[in-house]
Amino acid sequence: MTNQPLPTAPLARYLLHLADDQLVMGHRNSEWTGLGPILEEDIAFSSIAQDQVGHALAFYEYLNQECGLADPDQTAFNRPESLMVSSWLVEQPIGDYAFSLVRHWCYDQAVYLRYESLSQIQDPALQALATKLRGEVKYHTFHANTWMKSLLQGSEESRLRMLTALKEVWPMALGLFESWSGEKALMEQVGHAGQPWYPGERHLQQHWQAGTLESLVLWSVDVEALGLHKVEPVLGGRQGYHSEHLASMLEEMTAVFRLDPQAEW
Amino acid sequence: MPILSLDPRVNRLQVEQVPEHQPPVLVPGDHWPSYQVFHQRRRGEKHSSVGIVHAPSLEMAMAMAKEQFGRRGETSNLWVVCTADVLEMDYADEEVFRTTPSKSYRDPAGYKVNEKIDAYKAKQTP
Amino acid sequence: MYGGGYIPAGVEETKAQAESPELLAQFEARITRGEKIEPRDWMPAVYRKQLIRMIEQHAHSEIIGALPEGTWITRAPGFRRKLALMAKVQDEVGHAQLLYSAAETLGKKREDMLNDLINGKSKYSNVFNYPAETWADVAVIGFLIDAAAIVNQVANSKGSYGPYCRALERICYEESFHLKQGHSVFVWLATGTPMQREMLQNALNRWWEPIMHFFGPSDTMSQHTETLMRWKVKMATNDVMRQQFLNIYVPKIWDLGLSLPDPELRKDESTGQWLFTEPNWDTFFKVINGDGPCSRERLAVRKVAEERGAWVRAALRRADARYATPLA
Repeated sequence: MTNQPLPTAPLARYLLHLADDQLVMGHRNSEWTGLGPILEEDIAFSSIAQDQVGHALAFYEYLNQECGLADPDQTAFNRPESLMVSSWLVEQPIGDYAFSLVRHWCYDQAVYLRYESLSQIQDPALQALATKLRGEVKYHTFHANTWMKSLLQGSEESRLRMLTALKEVWPMALGLFESWSGEKALMEQVGHAGQPWYPGERHLQQHWQAGTLESLVLWSVDVEALGLHKVEPVLGGRQGYHSEHLASMLEEMTAVFRLDPQAEW
Repeated sequence: MPILSLDPRVNRLQVEQVPEHQPPVLVPGDHWPSYQVFHQRRRGEKHSSVGIVHAPSLEMAMAMAKEQFGRRGETSNLWVVCTADVLEMDYADEEVFRTTPSKSYRDPAGYKVNEKIDAYKAKQTP
Repeated sequence: MYGGGYIPAGVEETKAQAESPELLAQFEARITRGEKIEPRDWMPAVYRKQLIRMIEQHAHSEIIGALPEGTWITRAPGFRRKLALMAKVQDEVGHAQLLYSAAETLGKKREDMLNDLINGKSKYSNVFNYPAETWADVAVIGFLIDAAAIVNQVANSKGSYGPYCRALERICYEESFHLKQGHSVFVWLATGTPMQREMLQNALNRWWEPIMHFFGPSDTMSQHTETLMRWKVKMATNDVMRQQFLNIYVPKIWDLGLSLPDPELRKDESTGQWLFTEPNWDTFFKVINGDGPCSRERLAVRKVAEERGAWVRAALRRADARYATPLA
């Protein structure tokens, strides 16, 4: 295993959060391929998973070329669990389709906001990357919104399943916005428009929450009754503390690669 | 007893063997109606019929069509139409069009003037 | 993806002649002229039945075919292989969708086709009833089984039924990516470390008999086969397709210094025909009738996927939905 230490430079560390989240999320979402609720949706969800793994790769490539991290395969397929900085939300098993969809909805809205702010960064390469990736996430959010609306307003059963999933997902979704050590420093970095480009986790969370709650209310979800305002965020991911699921997920994901991490596959 | 698989995903699903006399799993209409998909590769080109998607609504049909028919190659635009709304011509009526290629009065090639011009010119020379 | 491969016909031959000699003559003349039959054309009952069976079983082969390679999606080593395998298995599901749609144009509903798959009534290509034991199996499947499928699909794409040909055109195009991807994994393992090479050789040894089974036993040129070939439903004999496959791909395998577990396998240079040990056809029939190593698992997984997704489909089903036989 590469035990290369985690980057301490704020930007590199932040990009690693994004990369790890996308890798784990894409991996989890790929577990639905061939097992989806209907062929057409199976195909759609698989594209989303591929996009996410692709985004992870793009960020690992940048980190390798500009920030001194090992090459993407080594960084992603050869790192111990305690050095992963992904969130608890993304590492959870896929559950039923309601869970995966609600997670997808919460997660991709957050990613969109992050890419939006990242596209204001001064570095032209990252600016271009964020803009490009944001386009793909736009489709993800469109897909998620369509399904959220449809299943919340579908049948008694679908509504119940979705609400149950919302309760389960929400605390971990809040955990996406966990404070981290380089946060304040990164908030001082000036973007290409002369203003700071990174608003910080609190602000991102507020923005995310306003958007998601507005949609839920529009879809007649009683957010008060669900207790979404009283939920405590699930934290630890950004510090390398994970639920029991990440270790087994990584074990599986890296099983073939670790047969010989130096081989060419 | 769940089936033990080489696929860890399958093991997580805890799958039971299919019973000897398995009744139908899917009810009629379970997979939704079909929508015809029309695909435009580039602006300026025609939309072509490329197949169908099963979907519960026009909106969903569009989302699915983007995936099934837009994930490779070029795509500029898509249309989706409920199959039930398409009126199909009967192939038995194909013979109505059989004489069309021979209606030369509708065809540019049916108008040849060179012979007439040449004949006229020939008459003019003393 | 995995073009049908051979599945025993089991369709009783009825006397097409009795239906309408005039219409039959027109139908056959159209096919002889190289024109396509479209969904609402008059067609003999046997033709319709045979085509539904063929296209449906090709569709089943794709959706089931997603499972052996799907076994390794979560374990693909490295980004390049991970993304490629995700895309490939997605394509298989996509091909199933295209093929079910083509079969639907003939009047059989998708729900009925899936029910028949799950209850074992409909068959699918045998080759997917075998387990993908290691990562190297993905290489063998992706290279050699896709190659065999392409031989089959290219032949069928010149058939007489319009919607099937159109679906196959799209499928053949995507297959060329699959073949390249499969070959790439194959070559990387063959030219890699001793461990990788050994993994690949083991996979080859295990998969060679299912691959030799892929095109089916030698065709007995019955009246039935002759009719199906005249109607351009069956486009080439099993033997011809098998020879094509062996001729292109065995040299590529041997070129990498890998061996195949058949001491008789060689090309007779004087006839141009490949000689081989006749595979065990009893095994083939046993497996296709539901008794393969993974037959039960494959159907059980398909059943679970449909069942667990039922609430999603039911939630969006509308009482005023308007169904019609698809045009494709």
